[in-house]
Amino acid sequence: MSTPRIAIKEGLFAGHLDNLETVHLAGSRCSSCGEMTLGTNAACPNCGDQNVAAVALGDSGTLYTYTVVRHRPPGNYQGPAEFKPFGLGLVEIDRVIRVMAPLLPAPDQLRIGMPLRFHPYVLRTNENGEEVIAFAFDGASS
Amino acid sequence: MARDVYIIGAGMHPFGRFDKSYEQIGAEAAELALRDAGVQWRDIQSAFMARMYLPATSGPRILRKLGSTDISIIDVEAACASGGAALRQAVLAVKSGDVDLAVVCGTEKMPRGFMDPSMIYSTWQVELGISQNPSYWAMRAMRHMYEYGTTEEHIAKVAYKNHRNSVHNKYAMYQKEFSMEQILNSTLVCDPIRLLEICAPNDGAAAVVVASEKKMRQLGAKGIRIAGISHSISRYSSDFRCPAESMSATVENLGPTAVTAQRAYDAAGIGVEDIDCFEVQDTDAFCEIEIYEELGLCPTGEGGRLIDEGVVEIGGKTPVNMSGGLISKGEPIGASHLGQVVELVEQLRGTCGPRQVAGAKVALAHVLGAGGNCAVTILER
Repeated sequence: MSTPRIAIKEGLFAGHLDNLETVHLAGSRCSSCGEMTLGTNAACPNCGDQNVAAVALGDSGTLYTYTVVRHRPPGNYQGPAEFKPFGLGLVEIDRVIRVMAPLLPAPDQLRIGMPLRFHPYVLRTNENGEEVIAFAFDGASS
Repeated sequence: MARDVYIIGAGMHPFGRFDKSYEQIGAEAAELALRDAGVQWRDIQSAFMARMYLPATSGPRILRKLGSTDISIIDVEAACASGGAALRQAVLAVKSGDVDLAVVCGTEKMPRGFMDPSMIYSTWQVELGISQNPSYWAMRAMRHMYEYGTTEEHIAKVAYKNHRNSVHNKYAMYQKEFSMEQILNSTLVCDPIRLLEICAPNDGAAAVVVASEKKMRQLGAKGIRIAGISHSISRYSSDFRCPAESMSATVENLGPTAVTAQRAYDAAGIGVEDIDCFEVQDTDAFCEIEIYEELGLCPTGEGGRLIDEGVVEIGGKTPVNMSGGLISKGEPIGASHLGQVVELVEQLRGTCGPRQVAGAKVALAHVLGAGGNCAVTILER
């Protein structure tokens, strides 16, 4: 039997965590105003309507804006033990939503408007022996 | 709401790093404000303590050093806008007729370096490193540069101005001028924001005594009127400040500074053109540029031009951050807005010496931070 897996945040992903190829970011579409929001939500933060449908977001995006984190983030950061500067940006998906995400391309390769692709991965094994699934966006050909 | 509210006393402990307890730092600021107002602590009917990184009941712990009276003392927290939210509560208490004399104090004592992320972010954001406050502001800068042609030089010029203004401010942590070269060569923190363009968390306190008009007359005090005060948090998808997880690509709402400032302008019955000088949130030098635009000092995208043209210098048409701003004072979060208010009270009294804005009659203080928490206070002499 494969190692049990858990999402880094409940409701963040759609699909089966045991097969990362089926995993996408989860979204909630409001049936009243049509607004798409990240994750599985009980109500629409735009209009307050509780009639929201669970959907999967697309895997392709473009970089709306970014920065480079040059120093080790504070607190319980789970990145590489030897810190490497990394990109952080808002990735626009399906022209409806921009998701805050770590970026895998080298910092000097980052450009606003560049194509990116959703990348789920195993971040670490937690104290219960479960693999924790996190996400980033990687470079993609346009 | 016919009852006007006045600031009749103001006092401040310098911002910096001190081998003193937060209780001492806060009590010193409160004592200075009381002395400035010419009133005793036992005369105070209600008190509000703005703080974010201090323990529960910091207000009583600090203020009961002045005397254990039985008044209401509450702590107020609204991230970087804590001071504005606290001052607003005092204004509402006086306006309602509940009290005639209140103290508002902001106090903070914070460790060096990036702020403790668990205060603001979810645990998963901390694990992924989506938890460094300056990164959110930096992403706004990067987009502004892309859309409007704002440059790294524009951003550095704001830092240059604020550091230079601080030379005359005894309350600032850094009272030192830096050259453009030093600023542009300082370490990148989060691209494009550099170390000399960013504010540091530190220790400090500032306090005011507010009074009803009747009380002010009884005391024979000459107060500064609080013409308008507002606090709000950002509307849906209007601002991607920390700890935002996502933004809409279809809904575009007015940012928190624009919304909060408009409410304060409306309350004061004035427009931005009636205001003589400003103290605003320069968490980093870029956000000051964005705030020029959102306050209405210039159209969207033209903030860089404003710094180029010298409009925001002490001798310019609309001076901004005469005190040196948070970039030079540091940001003891609970104290930051009240520190701005103390600076503006002194500006309106005409006692600021070399950093005085000639003839200032109306002034605006603005703070903005986590969650899109924003507060604006307009003062008038």
